[in-house]
Amino acid sequence: MTTYRQAWRNRGPAAWLLSATLIGSYCVLYWTSWLDPIAQGLGLRNRWFLYGLLYTVGVGGGGLLYLRRHGSSRYNRLRIMTNFGIQAIFGFTLPFVMPLLGQPEFYFSYLWPLKYDILYPHTLAGLPTYLAVYAILGATVVAPVLALSFGKRWYCSWICGCGALANTFGDPWRHLTSSSTRAWRFERLAVHTVLLVAFAATGVIAADQLLSSKSAAFSSFAYEVKQGYGFVVGALLAGVVGTGLYPLLGPRVWCRNFCPMAALLGIIQKAGRFRIRVKRDMCISCGNCTTYCEMGIDVRSYAQSNQSFTRASCVGCGMCAHVCPRGVLRLENHAPRARDKARQGLITADF
Amino acid sequence: MHVVIVGNGIAGMEAALTLRQRDAEARITLVSEESDHFFSRTALMYVLCGQMCHRDIEPLERGTYERLSLERVRARVTAVDPERRVLQLSDKLPPLSYDRLLIACGSRPRPTPFWPGYGELEGIGHFVTLQDLAWLETELHLSTGHDRPPREWAHLEHTTDDSPYQRREAAATRRGTRARTPVVIGGGLIGVEVVETLLSAGLSPTFLIREDWFWPIALDERESTWIADRMRHHGVDVRLGESVQRFEGTDGRISGVLTDQGGHDADLVVIAIGVVPNTGWLEGSGIERDSSGGILVDEQLKTSAQGVWAAGDCASVRWFNGWVRPEQLWYTGRDQGRLAARAILGDEVRYARGTWYNSAKLMDIEYTTAGLVNMGVEGEASWFFEERGRVRSTTRIVHVGGRVVGFNFLGRRWDHDLCVRWIEERRPLSWVLDHLDEARFDTELVPPLRIPASARSPVASPP
Ligand SMILES: Cc1cc2nc3c(=O)[nH]c(=O)nc-3n(C[C@H](O)[C@H](O)[C@H](O)COP(=O)(O)OP(=O)(O)OC[C@H]3O[C@@H](n4cnc5c(N)ncnc54)[C@H](O)[C@@H]3O)c2cc1C
Ligand code: SF4
Ligand code: SF4
Repeated sequence: MTTYRQAWRNRGPAAWLLSATLIGSYCVLYWTSWLDPIAQGLGLRNRWFLYGLLYTVGVGGGGLLYLRRHGSSRYNRLRIMTNFGIQAIFGFTLPFVMPLLGQPEFYFSYLWPLKYDILYPHTLAGLPTYLAVYAILGATVVAPVLALSFGKRWYCSWICGCGALANTFGDPWRHLTSSSTRAWRFERLAVHTVLLVAFAATGVIAADQLLSSKSAAFSSFAYEVKQGYGFVVGALLAGVVGTGLYPLLGPRVWCRNFCPMAALLGIIQKAGRFRIRVKRDMCISCGNCTTYCEMGIDVRSYAQSNQSFTRASCVGCGMCAHVCPRGVLRLENHAPRARDKARQGLITADF
Repeated sequence: MHVVIVGNGIAGMEAALTLRQRDAEARITLVSEESDHFFSRTALMYVLCGQMCHRDIEPLERGTYERLSLERVRARVTAVDPERRVLQLSDKLPPLSYDRLLIACGSRPRPTPFWPGYGELEGIGHFVTLQDLAWLETELHLSTGHDRPPREWAHLEHTTDDSPYQRREAAATRRGTRARTPVVIGGGLIGVEVVETLLSAGLSPTFLIREDWFWPIALDERESTWIADRMRHHGVDVRLGESVQRFEGTDGRISGVLTDQGGHDADLVVIAIGVVPNTGWLEGSGIERDSSGGILVDEQLKTSAQGVWAAGDCASVRWFNGWVRPEQLWYTGRDQGRLAARAILGDEVRYARGTWYNSAKLMDIEYTTAGLVNMGVEGEASWFFEERGRVRSTTRIVHVGGRVVGFNFLGRRWDHDLCVRWIEERRPLSWVLDHLDEARFDTELVPPLRIPASARSPVASPP
């Protein structure tokens, strides 16, 4: 790999240009309807399907390049192919076809709280029963149970469309994710704040809809919350910032710092069975793992102190294990928890 | 108490951290000629490839020294006087006195045999230090990488001639073009790392190996042939059993390497024939060294001089099998650094090495070893299995009278810890083959290693 010898991957002029283009395109997409005629000209229902099509192309094209770079790992290969399949089927084709069959346009691969409006009472009431049950069980039972068994990776690295784009189109910039302590502090503060806000917003809006607006003041407050959350989290952070900054800050800006789903599954992951196991006294502190961790986790600090670990932000992409030249790391689903507690090593140890 | 540590590598740094963890008050000074900050020497090749940037190979955040009040001096130590407990420093710095001294000054490239042309021509060098890295980056790319090396990484202006941390002029700079026909000399680990780097820079190096196969101290002929084939497949001209005789040059720059088999064009030569303890500056100090230059230490890592300890690549320690020589490994450097710190603080410690193990990556083939492999144990026999399916791998298990004493693996990942345990438990070969899958450390979804019954049949049970 010659990552650092390519300027477009290292904040060179091309990276800035691409970032500006992405940000501009997101603004046009979210806040104008200029793209609607183009979409309709292509036989797509509206601009969101044009976006879905481009998104799928991004996952596919980026995925092919990803496989060229990292395809020697079977885990990576299957994961990226799954990402593409899910995006093509559940992120594009099904939502397009379902309305033709008299069904609502439904995205199976997005769950609450990432898809924040799906659990609003009015949304649920408007869905056929099977979809409403899917949305509720998916968020409250399936996602947490799978996260306990396999870690959040089952969602963040295999199913989720945001993760899919980050890991394919965004992969050339994964080394730009900061692994500094400051970035970690910001992450914890930001992502848990968004999680709390997501819960609160859903609560307020649900209360308003269930009580059917007994108070006009509360109703307008709930409306503000709904609009505000949609604007700040749904559009600004997830789209404009999240994807727009890929070429400058790495591909997981949204997932790491702002995604409420990732925060929630991360907390569950800490209590579950997933961990990264570290081979004893084999790490040469080279730093490939830390450099290529897209979540900015300083994997090396654990590896060189012989400490198997589970970090809430880890999406289980498997890259640290793949790039490690000494085979020190392995992702596992069966943690003997007690063994991970004691830090035996010293470098960067707890002072 | 003022503890001075010569060397800011893994051994020196670990010692400093351990000292600080145990003693909040002690004054601790790290002296280093090579760089201001601790970095991973093991990762030099990744910077050269462009796979990591200069800052990526520093394992500690920059603020660590200040946070832990570790003082630093950037200078070469030119002499030590254990009687008066002072160090002489380069760059016109005043002498530095200490109460306790830890020498962790690492390795330097093994002195080159008498090959005429060496030392006179530009474009010949080694790959051991940061300054070597800067030189090679310039030879290959005419510049030093994506992020300029941190300013503090530069060489010192005033050093001594025998220092391995000197700046070297690149032939490419005067020529104005990057290297095109590199030659790598020496079939060991650093050699193969350099070869891999040259490949990633789009070059097809010539690899001159004196021995009959690549890396005979660790691999047998079958294993080695696979590695050599893989190198050839990627475009390396691997030359086995070929010895260098002299270098040729034009305009003061390297132009070719003459060997006992003929000649090779070369506009860049990297010599990777091993390293030796970097202890020339101890000449005349009275601190005892062995013939290789390794500082002789006792089980407490204490040298022959009062108040002086040694750790890491520069110290000759007793191996698990009785040899006394340096252990040039990252994890032993770390262990020795920690242990020396405890000895300096007065703990009763003993340096005792367990069963040998190591790992490496040869091109894209991963290598793990444990126990007595290629060490010529009396009565040893090898069980060998080559897998050629979706995964290609080799497994070699060395046994004596049916009891397993060593493992050599290529192509898959293995848990050396478990292998070491089996060796120490003196497990029979047949038992180990039955349980081998437990030691597998492959990434998820890699199909397991299947050993057909026919491959197992020669396995005899130990009496
Ligand atoms: C290219 C390469 C790849 C390697 N890969 C591996 C690997 O994969 N696995 C493995 O186990 N090992 C590997 N090694 C070996 C490993 O890097 C060494 O064993 C380890 O770095 C030794 O650490 P140390 O602290 O003893 O010395 P060093 O890291 O060599 O540090 C020496 C320190 O001493 C200072 N110093 C020396 N002399 C003076 C002086 N006179 N005055 C002032 N300061 C001085 C230097 O500035 C430096 O800070 C590799 C080595 C190289 C060169
Ligand atoms: S720790 Fe490893 S598996 Fe987890 S996100 Fe980072 S690189 Fe991926
Ligand atoms: S990549 Fe492997 S050897 Fe390198 S620092 Fe990480 S765990 Fe250690």
